[in-house]
Amino acid sequence: MHKLFEFIRSVYVAVLFIVLELVAVSYYARSTYYTEARLLTRSNQLIGGVHTLFAGVRHYFSLGHENRLLAERLARLEERLAQYEEASTDERLAGYLQDIGESKYRFSTACVVANTVNRAENLITLDRGRIDSIVPEMGVLSPDGAMVGYVVDCSDRYAVAMSVLNTSFRASGRIVGSDYYGSIYWDGRDQNVVTLGDVSKYADPQPGQEVVTTGFSQYFPADVLIGWVESAELNETRTAYTVRVRLAAEISRLNEVILVENRDLYEIRDLQQSDQIEQHTRPE
Amino acid sequence: MYRILSYVGLLVVTVLLQVFLFDNLAISIYLNPLVYIAFIALLPLDTPPVALLGAGLSLGVIMDYAMGTAGINTIATLLIAFLRPTLVNLLYGHDNAREGGIPSAARMGNRTFVHYLLLLTLLHHTVFFLLEALSWSRLPLTVLRILLSTALSTLLIWIIARIFNTKLPSRV
Repeated sequence: MHKLFEFIRSVYVAVLFIVLELVAVSYYARSTYYTEARLLTRSNQLIGGVHTLFAGVRHYFSLGHENRLLAERLARLEERLAQYEEASTDERLAGYLQDIGESKYRFSTACVVANTVNRAENLITLDRGRIDSIVPEMGVLSPDGAMVGYVVDCSDRYAVAMSVLNTSFRASGRIVGSDYYGSIYWDGRDQNVVTLGDVSKYADPQPGQEVVTTGFSQYFPADVLIGWVESAELNETRTAYTVRVRLAAEISRLNEVILVENRDLYEIRDLQQSDQIEQHTRPE
Repeated sequence: MYRILSYVGLLVVTVLLQVFLFDNLAISIYLNPLVYIAFIALLPLDTPPVALLGAGLSLGVIMDYAMGTAGINTIATLLIAFLRPTLVNLLYGHDNAREGGIPSAARMGNRTFVHYLLLLTLLHHTVFFLLEALSWSRLPLTVLRILLSTALSTLLIWIIARIFNTKLPSRV
């Protein structure tokens, strides 16, 4: 009796098992990717939040790796940026020369590689030299066209210019609106101010008046801006004004410069020193 | 009552472990441990076959729902739930099984227990991975998956069994 009962029970379980398996298999057989996707979508409504949480935790472990990747990418982009900046610098430098055109002056550009403003003899080092056809006595202008200095010596690849902030620097300046001129020099005190000395006592300089170069200068074309009159005073003998001129070029913040060569400079100088002139001026 | 509660706990823990840990591990395509069957493996030895079937059905449906597999888990889990009494009788003896208690290395002997887990897992994994692949064309790969995953699952289930049994001292 007991064995019969046991037999019936085991058969009953087996039948139940077979029925359940058949249901499961038929469900699986009729399932498609869509069924599975729908199933997963529905279950994700329930457990998706927890998945997100775990994903967030997992994310922390990959931060180091991501950081490294980002740093590498940053380095690559920095490199490309540097290339673009170089290219745009060249373009900007070329842009300075665009509206200048052909004249007796030849223009060129350079970048400042070293610059001092705190000495009595301040010099500017430029990254162009003889192979870039830079020659001594070229004028140096700031990008907006204000006077900066002139080249005193060149190597093959570099040039050194004497800045206007150099007590040895000499140029001639003219007050716009009048024909009075004087000589420009630096007294070595204020890096924003130069002196225009020996201006005629009739000039009557007013603060704010522009001071530009004269055409007599060997280094600079005429009418290059030097600065603006800040104050003026007559000297003790009341024969000439000494004018303080605020510089237009900010020498201490100079990054790029324009170089000006007077093509005729040497020709004129040769001419001036020619034998014929000497013969004519030689005292008989 | 205490027993039921601890088994509910086991069910929840194994399902959560499976869904949130082992399904996301992605160690290798050949190592896909399915540890949730620890719940079936650790039901008391004297559980009535109907109750086993019911447990297998519930577990299979839950896992199908969570893993988005339309029926594979249910088919495989129902099979091991149905065959478990036979397996226990074969390995452990009919009379010993009727005494009841949680399957454990201490109760069944380490060797028998490991064999029991290994066979149960192998059975389950064979059905599961064959149905998942549903093709004979990559049979060697599927067999490799079955064998490697079975080895890993058995190890993990053995660890779960150790923990479960320490939590529940031999009084049941």
